[in-house]
Amino acid sequence: MKNLLICIIALWTGEVLSQNKQVLYGLEEVPQNLLLNPGSKVPQKYHFGIPFLSQIHVSGGASGVSVYDIFGESNVDINTRIRNKIFEMDDKDFFTINQQLNIIDFGWLANNDIYFSGGMYQELDFISYFPKDLAILAWEGNQNYLGYPFDLGEISMTGEVLTVFHFGANKKLSDNLTVGVRGKVYSSLIQFQSINNTGTFTTRESTNGVNIYEHELQNIDVSMQTSGYASLRDADGSSEVISEILGRTFFGGNLGLGIDVGATYDIGRYWTVSGSVLDFGAVFHTNGVENYEAKGDYTVNGIELIFPPLEDGEPTFPYFSNLEDDFENEVGVDTLQTSYTQLRPLKVNGAVEYRFGQPLSGDACDCYNMGGGLETGQSIGLQVFSVFRPKGSQLAGTLFYNRRLWDFLTAKATYTVDPYSNSNVGLGMVADLGKFNVYVAADNLLRYGNIAKAKSVSLQLGLNIKIYEQ
Amino acid sequence: MKTNLSVPVLLVLASVFLSSCIKDTDFDEAEAIALTPVVELDLIYFNLTANDFFDSTTSNPRLTVRDTTELPFLDDGFAQEDLRKADFLFKFTNGIPRRFDVDFQFLDQENIETYSTQTNVDQGTPQNSQLTDFIKIVEGDDLIELTKASKVVVSVTIASSDENLEGELNLKSKTTYYLEL
Repeated sequence: MKNLLICIIALWTGEVLSQNKQVLYGLEEVPQNLLLNPGSKVPQKYHFGIPFLSQIHVSGGASGVSVYDIFGESNVDINTRIRNKIFEMDDKDFFTINQQLNIIDFGWLANNDIYFSGGMYQELDFISYFPKDLAILAWEGNQNYLGYPFDLGEISMTGEVLTVFHFGANKKLSDNLTVGVRGKVYSSLIQFQSINNTGTFTTRESTNGVNIYEHELQNIDVSMQTSGYASLRDADGSSEVISEILGRTFFGGNLGLGIDVGATYDIGRYWTVSGSVLDFGAVFHTNGVENYEAKGDYTVNGIELIFPPLEDGEPTFPYFSNLEDDFENEVGVDTLQTSYTQLRPLKVNGAVEYRFGQPLSGDACDCYNMGGGLETGQSIGLQVFSVFRPKGSQLAGTLFYNRRLWDFLTAKATYTVDPYSNSNVGLGMVADLGKFNVYVAADNLLRYGNIAKAKSVSLQLGLNIKIYEQ
Repeated sequence: MKTNLSVPVLLVLASVFLSSCIKDTDFDEAEAIALTPVVELDLIYFNLTANDFFDSTTSNPRLTVRDTTELPFLDDGFAQEDLRKADFLFKFTNGIPRRFDVDFQFLDQENIETYSTQTNVDQGTPQNSQLTDFIKIVEGDDLIELTKASKVVVSVTIASSDENLEGELNLKSKTTYYLEL
């Protein structure tokens, strides 16, 4: 138990923000920007991501606590600090990890002026809400909480590892409007979820006077769906596990379908709005499914001894086994193999941008683009991001400043307010070095001096080959 | 010129990441993390009547009645490693005009006694029951012995009995487990 707790706390260190890539969004110089908005403007004619290097993204965070809160040097006892945090946080607080690795990524402008792009990436996504009542029960026990219904419905978590195969099309429909769409096939390697749980556990003074207390489980409906776990558990040795996982990586897992859509619209010469909806889709878990479910009500008062008259050597009633059987019958865990459908966490991006400064084309007249937006060296704007999670959507708002420093180098600075913090400053840089396109973006830079104080961190970096001319 | 500039810019960016660090923290404190829940759980209960202490078929007093229940959670690894103290509270309500001796014998899986405790119950009357609380705090070496047990034998012995005896002896009990995880 203690080791588990230490592991969880240690994980927070590596954790970073949710799935928001606010620095990368709208950064047209980065080809993988198309994965955030398939309807983004595309300046290049071709791009080819260096395999495994075109986008590495890690992010994670904890909305209510930082590593420093727990492990910071302090005169207060560490257990007191943890206890204080448990009581300070609530069941809407969450821990999340999201990681993406682009394996293949490519795109080209076809003769019909459609920019096609496609590829494959691997993603890991995990979120767990903070089950506050269970944490209190584990930390303090029930002695000081007689009559208090501990809410088991606070258990809410999902986690998955999957590969995504995607192909999209992007077209500039007019001087003002660019739209795009991307289809996705998900191949799930492993997935689990425990959501929509209900039930309470209460210890109170006995109401029927049978014993001192009664322990009551009421309205219990707690379940965990897993897919891809049972067969790995039963696999014989690590080589079998590895071959099983590799098989699932390439369409061998439970499959799903999804779609991304996006658009960018120039309003006059200096204003642009854009938006995208990502991962509108679901994975259908039919193979290797194992679900666990406990339902019902149960009250226990202890063990009643009835002192039956017995002959020598004759055993008495198996009171404890009977109690266990009774419990199993009423609220025991059933294992089921029912297929289930899992919605992917839907993401929505939106942005409005105002450009100013010197036009990049040298003067105000871009004769090939009379009606569209004017490209300038600087812009500011506002972005919003939302991801739909089991307990509702998580929102983030970002102010950004984008500047073309030199022809080959663009920088973007962001200030983001999200559930983790209101002091999140991010910075991204993209450099086009010949045909090589290199970028790195990170947020929570103010915390890099002492990352332990950060409640979230997000980092993306990548390397592409990009060609502007035919 | 372009490539000349890019090198320092990337160096600056790299240095931001490389200089990032975790400061003013003491991860050795993880060793000091201890969950210390205090858990209240019901234990056993019974209702004995005066008739239980007289065998009407043989017309002989039955001075001792005895029953056993398994408590398999006592000797599992969790209790042996994480239990620091156990407070037993036994609440007797005696409406039988006799004193009782009550023995709690904790046995391991081979039925060898590892720990025992006993108490006396004051006599009452059917009209005016007598309450007797027995509190037993088990810690230290006694706790080690207790957590070797997996069952408890409860023996209730009456001082004397006859067919006209009336009343009830009632027990309620709970245990407070002090854990350190």
